[in-house]
Amino acid sequence: MTFQQNCSRRGFLGASAGALVAAERLFGEPADAPKKPNPDLERLGGVALAEAKKAGATYADIRINRYRNQFSGYRLSPERGGTKTDEVPFVTDQASFGFGVRVIAAGQWGFAASPLVTAEEIARITREAVVVAKANAAVQASPVQLAPTKKYVDRWTSAYQKDPFGVPVEEKLELIHGATVSMKKDPKIMMALGFLGFRAEDKYLATSEGSSIQQYIVQVYPLLMANAVDMQKGISRSRSYQTPPVTAGWEAITKANLGENAPRIREEALEHLAAPPVTPGKKDLVLLPSHLWLTIHESLGHSTELDRALGYEANFAGTSFMTTEKMGKYKVGSELITVYGDRTIAGGLASVKYDDDGVLTTKFPIVEKGIFKHYQTIRDQAHLVGETESRGCCYADSWSSVPFQRMPNVWLEAGPREVTPDSLIAGVDDGILIEGDGSFSIDQQRYNFQFGGDAFWQIKGGKKAGMISRVAYQAKTSEFWNSCDGIAGPAYWQQFGSFNDGKGEPEQINAVSHGCSPARFRQVNVLLTD
Amino acid sequence: MLSQKDAKNLIDQAIGYSKLPQCQVDVSWTEDAFIRYANNGITTSGYRITQQISIGSVTEDKRQGNAVVTEFSEDALKRGVQQAEDLARISRPNPEDMPALGPQKYLTLSNYDNYTAAARGDAMIPHVKAVIEGAKSGKLTAAGFIQRSANAVAVGNKAGLFGHHTYTDCSLTNTMRTDGGKSSGWASQTSVTLKDVNGEAVARISAEKAARGAGRKRSLEPGKYTVILEAAGVSDLVGFLAGDFGARGAEQGQTFLSKKGGGTHVGEKMFPDYITLRSDPLDTKLATTPWGPSLMPNQRISWIEKGVVKNLYYDRYWALKAGKEPTPAPGNVVLDGQAHTVEELIASVDRGLLITRLYYIRSLQPQTLQLTGLTRDGVFLVEKGQVTDAVNNFRWNESPVRVLQNTKMLGRPGRAQGSETGSSIVPAIVVADFNLASVSDAV
Repeated sequence: MTFQQNCSRRGFLGASAGALVAAERLFGEPADAPKKPNPDLERLGGVALAEAKKAGATYADIRINRYRNQFSGYRLSPERGGTKTDEVPFVTDQASFGFGVRVIAAGQWGFAASPLVTAEEIARITREAVVVAKANAAVQASPVQLAPTKKYVDRWTSAYQKDPFGVPVEEKLELIHGATVSMKKDPKIMMALGFLGFRAEDKYLATSEGSSIQQYIVQVYPLLMANAVDMQKGISRSRSYQTPPVTAGWEAITKANLGENAPRIREEALEHLAAPPVTPGKKDLVLLPSHLWLTIHESLGHSTELDRALGYEANFAGTSFMTTEKMGKYKVGSELITVYGDRTIAGGLASVKYDDDGVLTTKFPIVEKGIFKHYQTIRDQAHLVGETESRGCCYADSWSSVPFQRMPNVWLEAGPREVTPDSLIAGVDDGILIEGDGSFSIDQQRYNFQFGGDAFWQIKGGKKAGMISRVAYQAKTSEFWNSCDGIAGPAYWQQFGSFNDGKGEPEQINAVSHGCSPARFRQVNVLLTD
Repeated sequence: MLSQKDAKNLIDQAIGYSKLPQCQVDVSWTEDAFIRYANNGITTSGYRITQQISIGSVTEDKRQGNAVVTEFSEDALKRGVQQAEDLARISRPNPEDMPALGPQKYLTLSNYDNYTAAARGDAMIPHVKAVIEGAKSGKLTAAGFIQRSANAVAVGNKAGLFGHHTYTDCSLTNTMRTDGGKSSGWASQTSVTLKDVNGEAVARISAEKAARGAGRKRSLEPGKYTVILEAAGVSDLVGFLAGDFGARGAEQGQTFLSKKGGGTHVGEKMFPDYITLRSDPLDTKLATTPWGPSLMPNQRISWIEKGVVKNLYYDRYWALKAGKEPTPAPGNVVLDGQAHTVEELIASVDRGLLITRLYYIRSLQPQTLQLTGLTRDGVFLVEKGQVTDAVNNFRWNESPVRVLQNTKMLGRPGRAQGSETGSSIVPAIVVADFNLASVSDAV
């Protein structure tokens, strides 16, 4: 298909600014109606809904979205063959703006998307989505069935105190430069990286069922990382300050105290470089929230996604050992393990008021006292497990991506108030304390996992001892969670997470948080990596 | 499709707004169509256009700023250039910045196919139908993905450099599972032309693998095995390996090519004679572009030649400091093979395992390039040169360096798609002592 057939030359080259609806105008702050979506967005949404109906769709929605990402920071590493350090700054601002239309026609989903946000292009792309859906009807397993949802007309903004995009880039560079220089002070630190990331998502959703929802989400993610090298021994070790990425504003950067933590990261990178290798074998583990979040994510988060359990991800991300007959009865963990799916929690990367199906998001139990209770679901799946409403887990990572089931924030309930990290360590004779995430890998049904970490300390006779290196632990999901015999109290509960959870074809990423308190696991298989 | 003329106009327009000494403009445009299916029916599918302009500006004293926009209007371009220049002005000098490259002679690559660029449901659905019919006739369940893309990339700068290239790409991957999900088989085809894709063949191979494991699987213990690794797995491993040929990392003690005490292994024979790893932008089977991130022309280059580490990738800054000619980063990966079929590889093994593909691969140690991952969608015992039983999956902890060092025999190279590192031209291989570290119960 030629370019001219797809979009008009005028539209492509954008001959006049007026030909395109500027993202700024659509998503700017309203002066007098903060609870209602922008009327221009609603008008454009209406074009898609009307065109879809005309073309024979029984359901339609349109998402008009704008994303902004800003990265800034420094990489410090020695110049070639010398002792002088090259301080390399980087600053990038990325914007992405467009729309995607989803329809049901002839009982099948169809989707089409374009970056040209004009009424004419919206109508054309909507017709394309209907063409796609009707063509698919030739290879239909069963017609799409949507669980009901209420109609919402609303505008919502995630909580933040200070807009991170409003903070001058000079101030950001100065902050991150100071922290990075501090990490690089020792010559054995080969490379130091300081990074500040900011993300904003403007999203508008209109559905043929009458919902019209505009939302704005702001997220921040700082990182410090030092890589130490011993040229004589031919080894390198790293250490990171993995502050939680969070749905919040600049205040989260201030709270992270990057400057104060940088010298500690430098010293711990050097300690890691000199640390003796672990003695492999069965050991007790005390896992801190900065590490355990990823184990929760991979083993309990992904295994309880309904699309995986039903085989929709069989060709890519995989299926799940948590098959549907286990719902309500399978003992996946010890009695201490209660896990929630929750897109309402403050600061969670997956937190939002309405999902991309237009469903009001909720908090729901996934595991209760060790028993698997509920899957993560969206509107077109709920009926497949006998449920009558979606649990609000629908998300697409771009205006150009098809919305589908993605993980909500999945968090582990804290233990009793009196349990502390020290009391967990005191109960370990021979074990390892692990902080931060490292290498992670798990099989396609979420049985067998192997995790590294960012830093490891030996526990001997109930006390934290020196750092060790080359640690990985390998376990089966149910055995691992059943071996948990202690979780620290609510005072130690922390939320960590990631922006880069991959799933789906074409692959999409998802941002998701996982909160927990430090927890203890008995007799886990520990490996020495070589 | 973004034509050369349209691309040049966009780039000239953006450069025209630039006030700083350096301005580089990268344009990309993609039209793609895809169909996803599972449980023997189509689930989601789509058609979309995506586009992006990336603007990099540099001041006289080497301060850099970058902006990326997806709107191509005059207004958006102006704002993008302004944004990049504002960021450059408030950034700090980059001591590693190199002067802008002037006009380059880029290779003319033939990896665009009109049929693929125009393909929509009518061209793709028959392949999906063939797969699903194949599944139903074998009482299997199919899940898979077919996609095609038509792509244009262009680049230009104030120093007069300009490049434009169009290419297509496509793939069909399919997983067959037996009733109750007790056994799984996978196959894929990937090419720059959809004419190379054959749904019936993909259905047949994946169905055979699934059916072979339909009965009781033999349980094998972890350990070191001779392995016949099919091309999809090899593609993943050499993809990780090729990423380690940077000169800076090797010289600064951070990769398997770093020598203890300093220096690199360049010039050393680290692998058997029959191992040659290279990049070849002129291989028409791969969707390679004529330039990489450095804007230097992609060229034919050997990384390992007849077992000897031949070249490292020197970016322009590191090359200047090292007194070397700069080299482009691997634009694609080709592992040379031998004239053997997979059946001949199997016949050469007295006792070993045939592995279909690898999954969830992550780094364990950078200096040894030790990785961890899993086997997936078909592991079979080979005894006295014959495939006998289907066996359980494994987690493996192994380095591609050791894998190539322990490679005993190679098949015929072809385009293959791994699960982690994209697509490359590789053969299936026979490897001794592959470390399968623990059992995975996954199917």
